[in-house]
Amino acid sequence: MTFYETEINRIKKICFSNDKQLETVISLRNFIDNNFEKEINLKFLSHTLLTSKYHLLRLFKRYYGITPKQYLTIRRLEKSKEYLKKGMSVSEVCYNVGFNTHSSFSTLFKNKIGLTPTEFQKKQLSQNHSR
Amino acid sequence: MKVQGIGIPVLDQDRALKFYTEKLGFVKKHDVPVSEGNRWLTVVAKEDQEGPEVLLEPAPNNFEPAKIYQKALKDAGIPYTQFNVNNVQEEYERLVDLNVTFSVKPTVMGTVKIAVFDDTCGNYIQIIETL
Repeated sequence: MTFYETEINRIKKICFSNDKQLETVISLRNFIDNNFEKEINLKFLSHTLLTSKYHLLRLFKRYYGITPKQYLTIRRLEKSKEYLKKGMSVSEVCYNVGFNTHSSFSTLFKNKIGLTPTEFQKKQLSQNHSR
Repeated sequence: MKVQGIGIPVLDQDRALKFYTEKLGFVKKHDVPVSEGNRWLTVVAKEDQEGPEVLLEPAPNNFEPAKIYQKALKDAGIPYTQFNVNNVQEEYERLVDLNVTFSVKPTVMGTVKIAVFDDTCGNYIQIIETL
């Protein structure tokens, strides 16, 4: 067994031995992946996953390094980019990924991606034309 | 300042190009002769050809410490870098069918699944899927 394999086994035992916790956070992440366009009700989800809302938040942060809300935003922005590349209008994208207002979507998009949704789409389209 | 790509030291650029394109599925982006048989050789993901480039650099053959470092990592089984995939198990099966050798078979490690293969050019490379 290599040094790396030994380390994998050692770290697994120390950090990832609680299967129930892992199952809970992975279920939450999968739920967000499949319902990113909806409002996520953590209180309801924590009941379903048989834990408290704050414990669920702490667990998610512990295993993924970000909160469920941050993950939801990342997921929505990824999906936005995908829809914009396909040529969907900015307004359609905004509501299809679950943002309530055009301005909150555009501001967040610009902050995280570095371009407004319109600029991003134009850039993508020009790249596609030049290929 | 922005990230344009990452470098991977390879023992043989011809073999690396063949492996990274024919087995892994990357696409050649730049191939510029530099000097003494060395090339500025980069590949990109087929589905993201404007994305980060992987520079297949001939450092181990031109700079002894690079060769020593690469060998030390390889001997310890430590991956030089990692690539994200949607499904580690499927990618593992696809690559095994292409006679790629794995040092670590698909393994769940908390909220990720990993596997490690030999790139035949002096490195182990890890593939990773977030669960």
